[in-house]
Amino acid sequence: MFPKDMKFTKDHEWVREEDGVYTVGITAFAAEQLGDITYVELPEVGAEMEQGDSAASVESVKAASDVYAPVGGRVCDINHDLESAPELVNQDPYEQGWFFRLEGVRPAQLKTLLDADAYEKYVGEQEH
Amino acid sequence: MRQTPLYDEHVSLGGKVVDFHGWALPVQFSGIVMEHLHTRTKAALFDCSHMGEFRIHGQDAVRAYSRLVCSDPERLPVGRGRYGAVLNDEGGIIDDVITIRLAEDEWYAVTNAGPLEKVSPLFRGAHSGIEDVSDTTAKIDIQGPSAREVLVREIPEAANLKYFNARPARWKNIDIILSRTGYTGELGYELFVPEACAPALWRALLEHAEVEPAGLGARDTLRTEVGYLLSGQDFDESRTPLEANMESFVAWDTDFTGKEALLEQRSRGGYAVMTAIRTEDRRAPRHDFDVKLNGAVVGCVTSGTYGPSVGHGIGLAYVPQDLATPGHALTAGPKELPIETTSLPFYTAGTCRK
Repeated sequence: MFPKDMKFTKDHEWVREEDGVYTVGITAFAAEQLGDITYVELPEVGAEMEQGDSAASVESVKAASDVYAPVGGRVCDINHDLESAPELVNQDPYEQGWFFRLEGVRPAQLKTLLDADAYEKYVGEQEH
Repeated sequence: MRQTPLYDEHVSLGGKVVDFHGWALPVQFSGIVMEHLHTRTKAALFDCSHMGEFRIHGQDAVRAYSRLVCSDPERLPVGRGRYGAVLNDEGGIIDDVITIRLAEDEWYAVTNAGPLEKVSPLFRGAHSGIEDVSDTTAKIDIQGPSAREVLVREIPEAANLKYFNARPARWKNIDIILSRTGYTGELGYELFVPEACAPALWRALLEHAEVEPAGLGARDTLRTEVGYLLSGQDFDESRTPLEANMESFVAWDTDFTGKEALLEQRSRGGYAVMTAIRTEDRRAPRHDFDVKLNGAVVGCVTSGTYGPSVGHGIGLAYVPQDLATPGHALTAGPKELPIETTSLPFYTAGTCRK
């Protein structure tokens, strides 16, 4: 049920690598838990992130929560579409609803993250 | 958790059930924003069966009741409802209440689930003619600009009922109470019905194409957009009607519990007052955020959310009296979110009086 071409954190971020650029977002499970997303605060392009740093925040009708950098790196792009259409995170969390992109990532950090099967199992435990 | 008579309906409609003051109630069905917007444009059904209801029989009983409620329910004209509050000796708000006068010698009071354990013995202890009917009464709200045209197909008595008026009515030979009130700012009705007939009425109303079910989440964003207070969150016994901006519902020419304390507070001054706050963008203030002026804490947010019909963050906050007027620049919360005091309602196109 979760895409196989990405890695996941226990805080419900996903990260997908393409040509050395790492795209980050939040999972469908997280978006569903938050409910209707009304605001996304994104980092500045050029910001340096350590793995686990608070990188963005997301607000829904019900709550606000932080989004953490699943890997360290330098922010090279942010999804400006979310400023006017934060609901894209609910509608399409893995494509149009991405948050930011990182470069200069140490690939070894990916090994600390969950693959789709492990994340699915983790989410299953959260729900019970 | 206690279940309302509509619990099975909520589960079968895919409602996401949460604990609200010990009651299992749906927070949402299709999604809070969608339900909110549907209520503002068509009509939505809300299960409010968790709330408290009382029957007050006779003049002596209503006289005793009127000493517990600050808004002079005794002198209500027949067929009318009035908002008010139940206070303690210090003027603190135990609960808010809508009282309806159903007949020359019959009144009906509607209170909230949270303080019911305190309110029920208080009311019942005041006179033997005050009866708690909460356990046998279900309450269904139908709210939205299409509410009248839908409801008259089921209950013709709804046709000419004006805002804040109420009357006994019948649905399929069952006696119910119909009140032209609500918690959304839209044209709407609250239906007080015997528990056993609630599921059938709920289903009958949902059959109409304009109607969708809505949960506590949309109920909260809808009421916040029009500045209605939530009992236990925007006020409790630590706040008085003067602080909560309820002074227009205080009948100063009557005697009620807490009046002396309110008079003293009014003459002393210097208390915090509820004000409306808003943000410039989609970020929202949240319940329990500190409010700061130039970096110093001056108040606190009691309700806050994104307002789906206004498109920005909105909230209610207690601030010093001199800041409780529109146009003051403040901040809220740990991230010092910029906010500005403003006036109510946030959403001005509500149809409740139409």
